Amino acid sequence: MPLDTSTYSLALLRVDGRRWNELRRLHAQIRTQDAADGSSYLEMGHTKVMCIVTGPSEQQQQRRGQTSQRDAAAINVNVVIAGFSSVDRKKSGRNDKRIQEIEVTIANALASNLHTHLFPHSSITISLHVLSQDGSLLAALLNATTLALIDAGIPMTDYIAACTAGSTSTYAAGDDSADPLLDLNNQEEQELPFLTVATLGDSDRIAVLVCESRVQVTRLEGMLVVGVDGCKQVKQFLDQVVREKGAEMVREGAVEKSDAMGMVLDE
Amino acid sequence: MASQQILFSPAELAYLHRSLSLKPPIRPDGRAPTQFRPLTAETGILPGTNGSARVHFSDGTEAIVGVKAEIEKTIEAPRAEESKPESNEAASERTRGDWLELAVEIPGQRDDEASTVFLSEMLREALLADKEFAKKLFINRRFHWRLYLDVLLISPPLSYPLPLLSLTTHLALLATRLPRLKSEGDEDPMFDDDWEASTFLYPQEGTATNGSRPPITLLVVAIGDNVIFDPAKEELAVAETALAVSVAEVRRAQKAGDMEVDSKGRELSLLSIRTIDPPSRLTPPGVPHTSNTGSSAFAPTKLQKAGDQETEGVWKAPLGGTKFGVLDGIIQAVLEKGGVADEVLDGLEGVELS
Amino acid sequence: MPITVLQPQPAAKRQAAAMSVDSDSDSDSGGGAEVHGEDILTPGTVITSNSQWMRGHGTYVQPGETAITSSLAGTLTKTNKLLSVRPLRARYTPEIGDLVVGRIVEVQAKRWRVDVAASQLAILQISAINLPGGILRKRTETDELQIRSFFAEGDLVVAEVQQLHQDGAASLHTRSLKYGKLRNGVFVSVSGIGGGSGVVRAKRQVWTMDVANAGGKVDVLLGVNGYIWISKHIESDTNAEAVGINRMEESVSSKVYSSQNDPLELSTMREIARIRSVILALVENRLKVDEDMVTKGYSEAVELGRESPDDDLYLGGEKGQRLAAALTGH
Repeated sequence: MPLDTSTYSLALLRVDGRRWNELRRLHAQIRTQDAADGSSYLEMGHTKVMCIVTGPSEQQQQRRGQTSQRDAAAINVNVVIAGFSSVDRKKSGRNDKRIQEIEVTIANALASNLHTHLFPHSSITISLHVLSQDGSLLAALLNATTLALIDAGIPMTDYIAACTAGSTSTYAAGDDSADPLLDLNNQEEQELPFLTVATLGDSDRIAVLVCESRVQVTRLEGMLVVGVDGCKQVKQFLDQVVREKGAEMVREGAVEKSDAMGMVLDE
Repeated sequence: MASQQILFSPAELAYLHRSLSLKPPIRPDGRAPTQFRPLTAETGILPGTNGSARVHFSDGTEAIVGVKAEIEKTIEAPRAEESKPESNEAASERTRGDWLELAVEIPGQRDDEASTVFLSEMLREALLADKEFAKKLFINRRFHWRLYLDVLLISPPLSYPLPLLSLTTHLALLATRLPRLKSEGDEDPMFDDDWEASTFLYPQEGTATNGSRPPITLLVVAIGDNVIFDPAKEELAVAETALAVSVAEVRRAQKAGDMEVDSKGRELSLLSIRTIDPPSRLTPPGVPHTSNTGSSAFAPTKLQKAGDQETEGVWKAPLGGTKFGVLDGIIQAVLEKGGVADEVLDGLEGVELS
Repeated sequence: MPITVLQPQPAAKRQAAAMSVDSDSDSDSGGGAEVHGEDILTPGTVITSNSQWMRGHGTYVQPGETAITSSLAGTLTKTNKLLSVRPLRARYTPEIGDLVVGRIVEVQAKRWRVDVAASQLAILQISAINLPGGILRKRTETDELQIRSFFAEGDLVVAEVQQLHQDGAASLHTRSLKYGKLRNGVFVSVSGIGGGSGVVRAKRQVWTMDVANAGGKVDVLLGVNGYIWISKHIESDTNAEAVGINRMEESVSSKVYSSQNDPLELSTMREIARIRSVILALVENRLKVDEDMVTKGYSEAVELGRESPDDDLYLGGEKGQRLAAALTGH
């Protein structure tokens, strides 16, 4: 048991020394690749992912028999999990269902968030590379995608900030006093029930919710509340990264400063 | 995204071809014929692997390579009793190519696409060419290391990615470490938990072992009599010949009493030369002034035939193969002392291995 | 050194500017004097709820609300009563009247589709080009059958944006003697507008410069979409310039659609390569690309070239940084 219940209830510390409501170390960079329209690199603990966005651009070749008459941009998501990303080297093939499901989940979340109606007849291609996995894979991918899309200058309604939340006790153990947990690592994900949740910015509106483990429905609300709170923290972090980069670009003279804001607007 | 056609207009191609045929050639970015674009390289970026490296060029193309090693049981092929007892030489004779698995991931392309398979085969064959590789992975007669090399191209493939992938693989292999063996003989392998005690797959200078260094593969093009290294995509588009040349450095163990080997005196061994189809073969020809149908309302009376005398300033796709003299010139330029291979290996050695 | 291997640069140390980490939804409540990190708008940030403002590019209004919210990361621009957000970096969006360089990617029945580095391919109708033989020549069916004799896939063309369709796609035209197929030169592509590296809209996008080392004259064409063409200047017939409308038939020469290059001198080709390196160095060092910068950069480059015995043209890496430093120092 990763939590080793006896010591957990004593000190309430997890294997890596965190408390139940602490996120792992977050690190992110935006504009990591000049050749791409948008790019980002994100770390959530030891989970490291990179995202490259190309577009919106028009594809001459039509894929899968789709017509080019589209009112909004098409979103193509491609996830590559490197063979060296987990402890055991594992090469996933093209038809890996788990990867396909992740791709579809991300594409659907973006379809309602991005203002694709502004780019008819085009497509946006998102390439995600997983360099290292230690839990919260879908959450890290969503966060990295959001950053890269903002870097590419594609208009969207709000950030999609994601994280995982779980419970300290398995379904089988039926421990009623189980506490919710925030941001699980790989070890914890394998043993405990958890869900991935993504919110729209720091509101309470949920954009993505994935739960593939068995958990009592009474515990679900607690997990969700903790997850949403974690998402707000993640959003603050992502926003900070974007603002710093933006301020740096304004300082360099690459972008012009804002016209007066604030009080002037409210006159 | 599916393989993007890099399009050029016939006028551009004619200009580039003329520019690169001059003596000395004028490259579009003004580089010398043997000058490489600056690249940024770092190793040890993935702590979960045995070795890793990341290289990116100034034009934005980027690659990451990770090396992982796993223990595998050696399958003994049944042999007749008259064979000599197993010796190291015999083991390597069988060139255990299957102890190395190399996978190349290019965004937007399936792994069974011809170009991807070709790339991974070229990299793999260069690694196994010297037949020394298997010795490094040998533990004892029952077990060996199986090495997995995963090569990831991060950026969309704008230019031919072979040299980038090859350089990154070279660095990743140089940085690869294997845990130190504590067990002896043929017993089940036991290793030292202390990573600091681990040994490099390619031992550093000074240790008395035979063995070469990992190879590098350079992309070379020839236009007319000019030989050009590290071609940009424009230069590749007008190349008459494109070659992938693999070289490796051979290090000999220093016996007692040997003189100090001059650091510049690398011994290079040419591992392979592979021809690559340059995209210039598929380009449509340019239209000269005289037969331009747009200039008159009548249909042209004479069509431009392929094999017609070349009109100055009009592009025509190159035909035919490479002259021997050009091939010779390329090999010379690569292998000579202080030549291109030497410079590239020098540059790579300067990268700190973390 | 034929090969330079660099260490990766760590992310630039952010200056310890007093950047308050207010939650963004408060940014419309007058941040006070030290607006620094607050200057940057991010998606989902409410700009203002005041109904006197109208919303422009980069903003949206939630259905059922009056607050204008940003949909991009960027800086705010106010034009009279219009609020829009200028993104930190975005693809080129065509505007009517833009001078663009495009590459033909598709040939259809009566038109071509042109890549102009925008989100959609632009259209060039056969009715929008100059047919050789005269401006007033009638378009016949043979023209449509021989459409590839005008422009084929891969050709570069300089054109002007004539109109924009509903969906944002641009329609181009080359109905002027200064537009048409490009030859005698090299092509450079710089990434999209914004973000510092890119072509800015300026009064003069095309100009001719005198180059050093007896190179003659070179035309530089900065397409607003980031596609640039540098070529040898070909003297057009001075008669054609002065001719009146009656004699226009003769002035559209038969050479307009040929892809044959005129003879080029070595010195001109060298200088063209030098200008190309200057532009790439400007982009690499995040400077604006416009006539002023290119001309100044070129003279600096000629100076730098004199330092090495065989007039080294290459401006990547360290030399490019020196060039940029010399330009920004001015």
